[in-house]
Amino acid sequence: MRSFQRNFSVSPSCPLLPLQLPSPMETHVWFVLPAEFKSVSLLNQYMELLSPCEKENVLTMRGDQLQKRALLARALVRTTIARYQINNHVIDPRSLKFRKNVHGKPELVWKSDDGQCPSPLHFNISHTSSLIACGVTVNSPIGIDVEEKQRKIKNNILAFARRYFSLYEVEHLSMISDSEVQRQEFVKLWTLKEAYVKALGRGFSAAPFKTFTIRVKDATNSGAFEVAVESSDHPESLTNNWQFGLFELASSHYASICMEKDKTSDVAMRVPMRLTNTEKRLLQSCNRILPVAGF
Amino acid sequence: MLLEGLSISCLRHCYGSLMVQAAGLKLVSVGWAKFTGFPSLKASRFRVSCSAKPETVEKVIEIVRKQLALKPETVLTSETEFVELGADSLDTVEIVMTLEEEFDINVEEESSQNITSVQEVADLIEKLVQQKAQGES
Repeated sequence: MRSFQRNFSVSPSCPLLPLQLPSPMETHVWFVLPAEFKSVSLLNQYMELLSPCEKENVLTMRGDQLQKRALLARALVRTTIARYQINNHVIDPRSLKFRKNVHGKPELVWKSDDGQCPSPLHFNISHTSSLIACGVTVNSPIGIDVEEKQRKIKNNILAFARRYFSLYEVEHLSMISDSEVQRQEFVKLWTLKEAYVKALGRGFSAAPFKTFTIRVKDATNSGAFEVAVESSDHPESLTNNWQFGLFELASSHYASICMEKDKTSDVAMRVPMRLTNTEKRLLQSCNRILPVAGF
Repeated sequence: MLLEGLSISCLRHCYGSLMVQAAGLKLVSVGWAKFTGFPSLKASRFRVSCSAKPETVEKVIEIVRKQLALKPETVLTSETEFVELGADSLDTVEIVMTLEEEFDINVEEESSQNITSVQEVADLIEKLVQQKAQGES
């Protein structure tokens, strides 16, 4: 997985810098912090990148901050995908077409000779009031969820967990005696579960959280953690097809990624998601990305 | 989700069948994502799902405001959808749990994960409160 923070400097005169596509085992994560975008004229330029439907959606949000967040989320998706330049064509972010799957998950559509087909490039976004993240993969469904580390849960955590989480997860949480640590583990677990249902393409409404279990276990006693999912509702579904990564973003957020394992690799071989960092400029932002589990 | 031609006061009579003349009824908007079909207007009797009391809607709005830490100037009506307020799924579920405690009811998990607007959750609460009252009487 490669994670970056990128500052927007998109304008008609400044072309988007191209990116190399993620390799099969890779997820690229891009994130922006809405607080860093103050220029109204820049935001207006981003608005021009959106489709009429997306503009309308932005404007239905109640209040400036929510509108700004919705705008930046779509602008992030369009500009990021455009940079991947499939087949080396320079792509105008405005030209990208999206559609929703049956559960409402947005997907990229590719125009081919015989109409439209799904693109090999997959993406998913997640945001809080202070951060917007976009994950990109090639040929693998992806789900991403971010939550503020400090997110307070208004209800009693165990009561909440008993309602919505699986038995194993409730037990895991109830064994934590420190309430602050318990809250943190709850938030991490929530992001993992959200990332999974988003990767499935079903989302929260169509995949009740009680029907599957996320296990974070210390696999090798070396301090490396492993994250796996088991489905109690559909035991026949191949839940060992999915791999997870849990990490911290910008010191302020937990982020979970879920993607399919590389089908070409040996099923018995466990290849954890890799966090790679090969570009020098990433070193500055590297301290903002801290792997927690799954690596 | 207002049925034109019927006033709000009519809709407060829950669990009754409403006799309406088909000619006076015009469906204005269909906003329910889970709505599977509307009974034929040729039928002279049909059941309308209970529309919540204003007090229930107000209580829901109060709890939603608190959960999402909305600014006082943010306008919130029964038609407001949670997504417009920037609520994520964790917010929605927290709101449902708080409402359960407030109204002393139990919302099924499937229902709670499908709620999208203030009106929807208020109607659901109203229904559950009524069911509970009937069950206890």
